[in-house]
Amino acid sequence: MALTFKGGIHVSEHKHTRKCAVEQMPAPKTVSIPMSQHIGAHADPCVKAGDIVDLGQVIGVVEGKLGCNVHSSVSGKVVKIDEKKANNGILIRNVIIENDGENRLHPDIKPWSKKLEDTTPDEIVEIVKNAGISGMGGATFPTYAKIQSALGKVEHIIINCAECEPFITANHRLLLENPDEVIGGLKILMHTFSLKEGIIAIEDNKRDAAKVLRERLGEDSKVKVCLLKTKYPQGDERQLIFALTGRKLAAGKLPADVGCCVFNAETCAAINRAFATGMPLTERIVTVDGDCIKNPKNLLVPLGTTYRDLITFCGGFSKTPNKIICGGPMMGVAQWDIDTAVTKGTSAVLALSRKFEHYFEQPSACIRCGRCVNNCPMRLMPSYLAMFSMQNKLDMAEEFSISSCIECGSCSYNCPGHVPIVQYIRATKVKINDRKRAMQAALEQSKLK
Amino acid sequence: MDNNQKNTNEITESEVKNTVPEASDEQETVDLNEFMPELLTVTPPPHIRAYDTTRTVMLDVCIALIPALIWGIFIFGYRALMHTAISIIFAVLAEFAYEKLLKKPVTVLDFSAVVTGMLLALNLPVTAPLWLGAVGSVFAIVVVKQLFGGIGKNFVNPALAARVFLFAWPTYMSIFTNPGAKLSTFAIGVPEGVDAVASATSLASLKNGVLPEGTSLADAIIGVENGCIGEVSALLLTAGFIYLLVRRVITWHIPVTFIGTVFVLSLIFPQSSPTLDFALWEIFSGGLFLGAIFMATDYSTSPITKRGRIIYGIGCGALTVLIRYFGGYPEGVSFSILIMNLLVWYIDRYTKPTRFGGGKVAKADK
Repeated sequence: MALTFKGGIHVSEHKHTRKCAVEQMPAPKTVSIPMSQHIGAHADPCVKAGDIVDLGQVIGVVEGKLGCNVHSSVSGKVVKIDEKKANNGILIRNVIIENDGENRLHPDIKPWSKKLEDTTPDEIVEIVKNAGISGMGGATFPTYAKIQSALGKVEHIIINCAECEPFITANHRLLLENPDEVIGGLKILMHTFSLKEGIIAIEDNKRDAAKVLRERLGEDSKVKVCLLKTKYPQGDERQLIFALTGRKLAAGKLPADVGCCVFNAETCAAINRAFATGMPLTERIVTVDGDCIKNPKNLLVPLGTTYRDLITFCGGFSKTPNKIICGGPMMGVAQWDIDTAVTKGTSAVLALSRKFEHYFEQPSACIRCGRCVNNCPMRLMPSYLAMFSMQNKLDMAEEFSISSCIECGSCSYNCPGHVPIVQYIRATKVKINDRKRAMQAALEQSKLK
Repeated sequence: MDNNQKNTNEITESEVKNTVPEASDEQETVDLNEFMPELLTVTPPPHIRAYDTTRTVMLDVCIALIPALIWGIFIFGYRALMHTAISIIFAVLAEFAYEKLLKKPVTVLDFSAVVTGMLLALNLPVTAPLWLGAVGSVFAIVVVKQLFGGIGKNFVNPALAARVFLFAWPTYMSIFTNPGAKLSTFAIGVPEGVDAVASATSLASLKNGVLPEGTSLADAIIGVENGCIGEVSALLLTAGFIYLLVRRVITWHIPVTFIGTVFVLSLIFPQSSPTLDFALWEIFSGGLFLGAIFMATDYSTSPITKRGRIIYGIGCGALTVLIRYFGGYPEGVSFSILIMNLLVWYIDRYTKPTRFGGGKVAKADK
């Protein structure tokens, strides 16, 4: 029986690209590489206009703070360093590189000199850090920091291939086509945490991938392939840990606190690549889909490629899109431009028509049907949270645990009253944080006096 | 507080304008160089959603009520249909007129007014004057629903509150007629010849401590008995219940605990013997099935959590038995639901599910 959690919803899958093998996208003429593709401090560019850079060369560094180095995804000449809005609306510096098409590899890139057995955990953290790897599922937390903070606490290591968002098939294709990379990455992580066992968690709509993995693993029982029930948000860390181990992650706690550590499948493959070839993270698999894309594809894309290039490579639009989404349709960010660049967290670029837009067909009002309460994977009461948000009752919102909301969208998805619940909750979370900060400031003021 | 509500409403309204498509969808291919990103819609996630709307939910309730309505027409004649039509028409008109008058968005297309009108009519005796349903519908929609903010904001069930309001005409509300009586379909007032066929309901005799005579339990289950238009056939109301369960419109919690509590309490404290017969008569006569399945489960006025729904159902059941035993009126379903309606917020607040993973939560002072 497939493992699962309580609550959640069944979303139409729309996984049209499940049969589309990953194609290498030729590097475009120019790439625009953002200096922040991760949570944490922005990287500072360490190249200047006119410099010649090689493929895999460090072009942005983060010193002393939480963050990831950024590497060039092509070889060529730095044209300029420009400020541009990233896919989340924040203004960040971009290094714009003109591709010379030579794919000249940087001389520093070579496989790790020692065998895995002789490598210490600290060395692995260093490899991951140098390769600039961040979580590739969407949250983009720097992976080295995750490993570092979890060292010595972990009993279960979980590779997350749930891929519960509709449309996206990037992880699915990775498992089918390159299972060894994922298994290799998991072995490295198991060694790092000195664990005997590892878990690869897959939703049961990807049984073919599980079969491939099991065949590849053969008698090797150290790695368990676990099937999960296909349900949204199965790929959420908390729900995943609960489904696999029965452990519940309390609010404000990290997976390591309950002895678990979760890595995305592609992150895992990137760790393997960094170890085996020394290659930093310069490309990733992106699902390009949606009913407005002429030829939906799975592409291996050099980071810094713009959405415009991706869409052109997929044959352009078949009709005018209403929305372009970076990430999945449940939690992805709607884009206002197509010249935004693919980053380490871009698992999909979707162009959707108005067919998917059922919002505001009618004046929206909560009819208290209770579906949101029933579906909430965090066991909150989203309808009340939305109501308190409308009435600006921040205390009540806190009493109803608004801070525990993971913003998965299960409530809004099923709301017959079309209440934009997640939007209300997000806005109120910001207000609550502002109030906390203001109170803190007032407190310090009074202390000074 | 009012200001804030207004502000959020304005946000949503401005978004409505943003989502209006300005580019035509018919174009075969789009030149990327001519594509204008300014036309893209930018909203927070999720970007896809289920097809269910308030309308589909309300339509499901209407569909679930239709078997009971058809049975009512079959048993009591076309006057039952007349009552239903009048109640629905006046409910919808009242909502339309109120919203037009106050320049609010018109919500009649969500079918909630239709459900209110239909439920009110099913709660009337067929002998009532035709204008009674119209008065009740207008009261339900304007006073109970719209004055408190429209759909989802009313704190008592509109149809039930209107029914209790109509007890201002107690005689009209309590003349019941035998099944198959020929009544004038179009008589505005109480139809002629009603006195000749009027009879006491089985609940009235249960209240006097005797099991009803001249009728059987099977008749009460199928619905060959006197009573309000929609309440007589427990069987067909249960069919509607199953439909609502299958369509996932309601959960089993309220109806099952409500009817179950009435049954158990009647078994423990029987007022006539044999005990089991008495308990069965208690649940199959009167408006218990209609109330438990369609009125107590009204979204706006019932708890939102499953634990809350169980508490609410038990509360409704216990109050129904208390009123039936000790009240001045033989039926207690409407009153018990209305009383429990008032407690919904407290039930919700204290049956709040523990958040995933637990942990302490700040408690609001106010």
